[in-house]
Amino acid sequence: MATTSPSVERPRVVRSARWRRFTKGGGVELLIMVLGILAFWSFLSSVIPNPSRYLPAPLTVLFSSSDMLWKGLLPNYLGQTLFRLVLGSVLGLAIGIPFGILLGLNRTVSDIFYPILNFFQSISGIAILPIIVVWWGNSEKTVFTVILYTAMFPITFNVLAGVRSIPRIYVNMLRSLGASRLQVVRDVILPGAMPYIATGARLGIAFAWRAVIAGEMLVGKRGLGWMIFTAQDTDHTDEVILGMVMIGVIWILIDRFALRPIEADTIQRWGLVQR
Amino acid sequence: MPPKLVVQGLSHHYPDEYTGEDVHALDNVSLDVDEGVFAAVVGPSGCGKTTLLNILAGLLPYSVGHVKVDGIDVTGPGPDRGVVFQEHAILPWRTVARNIGHGLEIQGMASEERKKKVQEFVELVNLTGFEDRYPHELSGGMKQRVALARTLCADPVIMLMDEPFAAVDAQTRITLQEELNRITMATKKTTLLITHNVDEAAFLGDKCFVFTRRPGKLKATILIDIPRDRRVWKDLLHDPQFIEKRDEILTLVREEVSPHGDD
Amino acid sequence: MNPVQSLSIAVQKLFGRQRLRRIILGSIPFIMLLSLWRMNTVNEWLPPVFIPPMASIIEAISILQDECTGIGGILTMNPGCLFTNHVLSSLGRVGLALILGLPFGIAFGVLAGMNRRVSNVLEPIGVFANAISGIAWVPLAIVWFGIGAMTTLFILLNTIFWLVFFNTLLGVRSVPSVLENSVLTLGGSRWNIITQVYFPGALPSIVTGIRMSMGFGWRALIAAEMIGGDSGLGFMIFVSASEYKIEEVFLGVIVIALIWMFTDRSILVPIEKWTVQRWGMVWRPS
Repeated sequence: MATTSPSVERPRVVRSARWRRFTKGGGVELLIMVLGILAFWSFLSSVIPNPSRYLPAPLTVLFSSSDMLWKGLLPNYLGQTLFRLVLGSVLGLAIGIPFGILLGLNRTVSDIFYPILNFFQSISGIAILPIIVVWWGNSEKTVFTVILYTAMFPITFNVLAGVRSIPRIYVNMLRSLGASRLQVVRDVILPGAMPYIATGARLGIAFAWRAVIAGEMLVGKRGLGWMIFTAQDTDHTDEVILGMVMIGVIWILIDRFALRPIEADTIQRWGLVQR
Repeated sequence: MPPKLVVQGLSHHYPDEYTGEDVHALDNVSLDVDEGVFAAVVGPSGCGKTTLLNILAGLLPYSVGHVKVDGIDVTGPGPDRGVVFQEHAILPWRTVARNIGHGLEIQGMASEERKKKVQEFVELVNLTGFEDRYPHELSGGMKQRVALARTLCADPVIMLMDEPFAAVDAQTRITLQEELNRITMATKKTTLLITHNVDEAAFLGDKCFVFTRRPGKLKATILIDIPRDRRVWKDLLHDPQFIEKRDEILTLVREEVSPHGDD
Repeated sequence: MNPVQSLSIAVQKLFGRQRLRRIILGSIPFIMLLSLWRMNTVNEWLPPVFIPPMASIIEAISILQDECTGIGGILTMNPGCLFTNHVLSSLGRVGLALILGLPFGIAFGVLAGMNRRVSNVLEPIGVFANAISGIAWVPLAIVWFGIGAMTTLFILLNTIFWLVFFNTLLGVRSVPSVLENSVLTLGGSRWNIITQVYFPGALPSIVTGIRMSMGFGWRALIAAEMIGGDSGLGFMIFVSASEYKIEEVFLGVIVIALIWMFTDRSILVPIEKWTVQRWGMVWRPS
């Protein structure tokens, strides 16, 4: 390690900042890895018996997608799945946020409802699905109920935690200025709980995504979940994998480009309220 | 007798973590510390003091120059150089006694023997009665005593200290400095203390290395020949010999502090 | 002081005033729900096919356990003990998945936490595997393993492994590097660092990961049993629903909830609290 000539300097490698960020963030590794996995996957498909059943090669999967695109099926399924996710999440937020605030504002209300909410939360949405199927049959209403049920709890509990995290002094200050309850909610509670609301929303939507896929599979409504389920039934493993990749990619896109930025932005903007 | 620590022509560059610009931290530093000597390295912030310590500790590879401890080249971290870090570097999941005995445990000392040794050092740093406490139950000053005892207990050739009292309050710092002086008197451990606090360097050091600002160079070596048993703050504050030495160091350091404050 | 007052004080002392208040208030909705349920059975607002009478749920247990031969039969999973067999097969699967998944999840998590290169490779795979939510693996798992225990075990393992992996990784990264350096300068080896710094340092986060993975895993398991299983509580409620045996569905759902609540409250939460409090580690990777 030690050399004797003190005048020798190590060569300096100057690279652009963007390249540096890319390599530091593991961009090169990511690229190599994705290619490596694709290569390994192709290799596996070429050596196993009956690859079209057990593991179709990446290219086969890609061709099946162009085939499905051609028929207009894929956009159709994708649209339906996303529609369910959006509607379920919006409803979940619309119910979960006010409910969470109500619970957070009043100790008695939360003491009354917290245990039962906890009980129903531990029954996952997917477990109550059979009951709802008995009630409403294999209908769109059934799927939505499951999605809503799943999304609501994490949102409610996070909003509750958010309201609780607001220092009493802010509320007292506003009350002493003569503000009404409604004004307190609008000016202190809502902005103060905002970071938690954002986190809860992200979590709730993540849960809802799982519920959408599971609901489609179990109830048999057209969408990505339904697509992979029937594809397995009809022995189209290429479409199963295609559907899985789509489910993964879409979630990463939603999470990275919509939910996370919103969450980070909210925390940055409103996070000061807590400190 | 050859010195315990020899640094010869040590220079160090590293690329800045964010901008990637080349930082010249140390420039041709040579110094040595004899056995039983308490040496202090003092300089303005950002003069490469911490870089020097990390190189001596073996935590940072170096390419230009030599670092020898007990005549052996430093190539990585090892038990011959004990380090007391600035932050609380004791393990939160170990009790005081198990933290202090950690070095001996790694060296593979039998548990009975280790217990005796640990007890000895618990007493040395005045922590009797706290052996079974976890670090989070201790004050900042007590945590640093544990760190000190842990390092001494492993019996290193040289003890390296990186601004050990920077994170404690002023009153505690004075107590700890006097304690360290007492412990140095008792153990005669060869020590290298890194600090930006001139008072601390003059109070504890037998030998003070003053560094320039970046790139860090050795600017001057000041010898302080005050017997350890006279080193008590309330006396020393009026001791002309101490005041003279401290002011000498202070002047040297002041010349290095950039006019715009911290750089 | 009259006897009622002194009794009330005694009860308050026994439970603690605040706790007692919470117990009473919290039980109100349960009592109301149960009485609504009872009233529904009496008045038949909704037919019993939709909301079964409470008694029929208890009855369902005895019908399902009809040919069961006592405790011995339950433990040996005698084919006559339909209900307990489903419970045990779900629980057994969780246990097996934990035994198989935890060591690997923790080991890879520590490895990735120590080494940027490993984490650069494993993290994106994990992100993608997590994004393909547990349930979406079911069809492919059916293709690979057929319907049955292997498929459900695969789904559960997939969920547990990645969650434990990610939490361990975060935990290891949250360990201040000065702790690692301090052990290195005491002469510690890589192995010392792993066992004495990374593992204990990451432990609170690992425990949180286990708790999370049990939460997600239990849900994924129920779903997987419904779609690709041939036993277990999820399978039971799905089949019962398709046969319109609503009382069996209710029974299964209630048991699913109770098992999870018990596991979380009585096992996972105490463990989590214990590690965090004992070492005074309030730092928590989010």
